[in-house]
Amino acid sequence: MRLTALREAPEAGYECDSRFVAAHHLPAVLIDLARSRNIDTHRLLRGCGLFYEDVMTGRAQISPRQFLQLVENTRRLLPAADTPFLFGQRLWPGHYGAASDVLEQADHLLQALEHIKAYRALLSPLLTPVMHFDEQYLHLYWRFSCGENDSNAFLLESAMTAVVALARRQQMERLPWRFEFAYAEPSHVEQYWVHLSDNVAFGRPSTVMSLPRAHLLRPWPHAGSTGGRVARQTCDDQLLTWGWAASFLDELNEHLTRQIRQPLSLERVAAAFAVSPASLKRRLAKHGTSFQEQLDLARRDLAVHLYQVKGLSNDEVAQQLGFNDITNFRRSFKRWTGLVPSELKALLGH
Amino acid sequence: MRSFLKMHSWTLVGLFGAGNIGLQIYLAAGDIKYWPEINWMDVAGEGGTAVILFGWLIMLLRARPAGRVTRLLSLGLCCMCFAMWMDVLDEFIRLAPEAVWDNWLETAPMPVGMLLLTFGMFHLHREQQAISAQMSKRERLFREYRLFDNLTPLAGAQYLKQHLAQALDMSTKEQQPLSLVAIDLDDFNEINVRYGQDEGDQVLQGVAQLLLMNLRQQDVLCRLAGDRFVAVLPNTGEHQALGIAEELQQSIAALAHRTVRHGERLHLSATVATVMALNEDEDQLLKRLNMGLAKAKPRTAQCA
Repeated sequence: MRLTALREAPEAGYECDSRFVAAHHLPAVLIDLARSRNIDTHRLLRGCGLFYEDVMTGRAQISPRQFLQLVENTRRLLPAADTPFLFGQRLWPGHYGAASDVLEQADHLLQALEHIKAYRALLSPLLTPVMHFDEQYLHLYWRFSCGENDSNAFLLESAMTAVVALARRQQMERLPWRFEFAYAEPSHVEQYWVHLSDNVAFGRPSTVMSLPRAHLLRPWPHAGSTGGRVARQTCDDQLLTWGWAASFLDELNEHLTRQIRQPLSLERVAAAFAVSPASLKRRLAKHGTSFQEQLDLARRDLAVHLYQVKGLSNDEVAQQLGFNDITNFRRSFKRWTGLVPSELKALLGH
Repeated sequence: MRSFLKMHSWTLVGLFGAGNIGLQIYLAAGDIKYWPEINWMDVAGEGGTAVILFGWLIMLLRARPAGRVTRLLSLGLCCMCFAMWMDVLDEFIRLAPEAVWDNWLETAPMPVGMLLLTFGMFHLHREQQAISAQMSKRERLFREYRLFDNLTPLAGAQYLKQHLAQALDMSTKEQQPLSLVAIDLDDFNEINVRYGQDEGDQVLQGVAQLLLMNLRQQDVLCRLAGDRFVAVLPNTGEHQALGIAEELQQSIAALAHRTVRHGERLHLSATVATVMALNEDEDQLLKRLNMGLAKAKPRTAQCA
């Protein structure tokens, strides 16, 4: 029993103040975009704990929190509606050494997405891609790796644009993406039409981009190259040196989702992570969240997934989530999503 | 800041020199008042006015390109500012009652400044008319600098929506048709990937100018987003709009854009769509236009 517990012990993961993001990789794309629009670099980097000269050395490493500050500064100094979309277009494959080679030389879109997930510390440290499949579609969700913040919409818009642009670039065709957003239609909806797809819907239960599975396995131009495999090895080595591949909140989410049917408490989870409850609480507070919030988030995502993708009934979903009492489940669901299950089903068109 | 001082050094030196000479003359001819004699209400009122006038002068010099209109306006403000300054000095320095010239120093510059400012305003109005003529096809009905596009010399989507709301109102009132044309470049991302984002920006700027040249005086062109442009055509029916759309499409196909670096010729093409306004608001109309464009767009991008 003890042994299994040990083997299943989750990794620590990177936190919002771990310095590992190479400043001349992803952040530099944003810096260059701002520079091309005549934004002063000193003003852009104010409060980021970073100077442009540091970026130029190629050795500066910043934390997700500093990266987020840079995003926030960009939003303030370059408030044009197309900024996140232009950032997304320039994001991948990019020029990030081995990680970019891995993306560029992927066999097909599915593999590229799997690489983005596996090497997200290198390619997408602020957003974690979450893939679900049903019989016809890939559903791609995004989770905020280092907690939610004011730049949520900016990050989502850029990550989604990045996937669309990468696929279009490699497959030389416009793919029939379908988009749903959990928020109301923004005033700059035309940016969504032009940069993402004409098929966008707002005010939906979750934010997700979907693509018919047939398009996932179309071969990419550099499929199966030796260089790609070597690049993967280099990335794996980098992750081994760091000792983690995902963020602390990702690891926590995964643990909670896996154990969702068990009674979960701060104490039990802290024990699984081999830290004291006080320390876990402190770490969560650092990311601007709490244990209950993370638990609700994991339950919400799973519940919506079970309704939407698996098409399960109320009883089945409640049971999967470890609820014995259906009334209790319905009340909790309303707290997580603002909807009762029947309203959600109506929205989903079941 | 340094270039600002350099550009307007004569104006500022002139104002400070005049102010200083005025001060010297007053000091030479009169005596400094005692504290109880000073009327602080007057000091605050006249001094405050002088400071605000000086602020206006600085804002004017910073905002406007050099030229005749700027010179007239700044000279007018300088005169008024000097008059107020002399008024303030009056509160601190007692002059002999028989001195008439001090009145001249205080009062005379004011009407002169006012006249210069009025003359400047007249030319400002003329200048504005000339600029508006240059802005034709890029704005009509109203101006809002915050809605200008940051890449092309056009207005952006928010301006388009506000303009469209007013234009729809007018077309209903006047019982005239109103049409929209959307122009979307084909394979624009290809250009960004192959020649770089800067070249892509150049193409957008070139295309914006080209489309402007192909529109009529009453039309307005905006950049909706990315490589998608929308032209608002007042008093235009669907048939006429289709004709204009086709002409725009042909003009883009015939554009010989050459890359900045190697002068290589790029072949551009565009997809166009038109809609005529029915009884709907601007958001619905734009949605319908966008749907039309999606239908017209070829599914598979060709490798240009």
